[in-house]
Amino acid sequence: MRKGVLEMCILATIAEQRAYPSDIIKKLEASNLLVVQGTLYPLLTRLKNAGILHYTWEESTSGPPRKYYHLTEEGKQFLNDLLTSWNQLVHSVNESIKNLEQS
Amino acid sequence: MNKTIDINLGGLPFTIDDDAYEKLDRYLNSLEDYFGDSEGCKEIVADIEDRIAELFKERLKKRRIVNLKDVNSIIDMMGRPEQFEDGTETAYRSTARRPLDIKTGKRLFRDPDDKIVGGVCAGLSAYIGIEDPVWMRLVFGLLFFGAGIGVIPYIILWIVMPEAKTSGDKLAMRGETANVSNIAKTVEEEMQNLGKQISKFGKGFKRKN
Repeated sequence: MRKGVLEMCILATIAEQRAYPSDIIKKLEASNLLVVQGTLYPLLTRLKNAGILHYTWEESTSGPPRKYYHLTEEGKQFLNDLLTSWNQLVHSVNESIKNLEQS
Repeated sequence: MNKTIDINLGGLPFTIDDDAYEKLDRYLNSLEDYFGDSEGCKEIVADIEDRIAELFKERLKKRRIVNLKDVNSIIDMMGRPEQFEDGTETAYRSTARRPLDIKTGKRLFRDPDDKIVGGVCAGLSAYIGIEDPVWMRLVFGLLFFGAGIGVIPYIILWIVMPEAKTSGDKLAMRGETANVSNIAKTVEEEMQNLGKQISKFGKGFKRKN
């Protein structure tokens, strides 16, 4: 569960703007989604091998070239599907606990 | 005084204390072991190395040498490989995490467990991938009785093919990769065989008396 959500957040971050791993880490840590940074790397590689992400090397002013990740067309579709089911889940959960909060 | 080592990490040069180097090296090796030979293992480890290099650079600022404290704190940030998965089952764990794999291709051995004469036919069958060595025996039998030459290749093979003695040999004979669970399986089979042999032996012994 947590893992699928993490993947969704990674994809959402990249969908906003192409990102290199350290950017993604900063965002995820800011929203308390990442316990250890190492979690990100196998996920990125897996998403890339699944054709959801691809990357390009870009020169950096402050060090060696960086890998910038983008969403592929398939990735955009995949993220949409994830967001749809996430919103449905949030809606259902909210509906089912609504009464509890009121009482 | 501390010995230092010059390293290239993620394309950046660092000078690192000897003890810190050892620790970092162990950590990186543990990552390689964890991701095993999964597709993208090298890539994951290289990406993590890039990140560690970046973190070192941020931490060092004007200092020149990476010390053990830096390495420890970075390992805490990156996390041990076991922490990467949040405790959830993943594809990596089930298909790729085999740190104790020993690469062994399929090899030709005589099979001492399933032999009639020297185990040559059984070994050949295992090598080719036929379940039942009876077909191989039939071929050799026909060669022997039909053309009268079957015995010579058999003896040559008997001499050339080593006997599968260890559990690792037996796995290599069947073309399985030797890892801990496979070896356990083979050892278990062997224990059962041994049990059978003992009971056979026991029966023979009783008959003799």
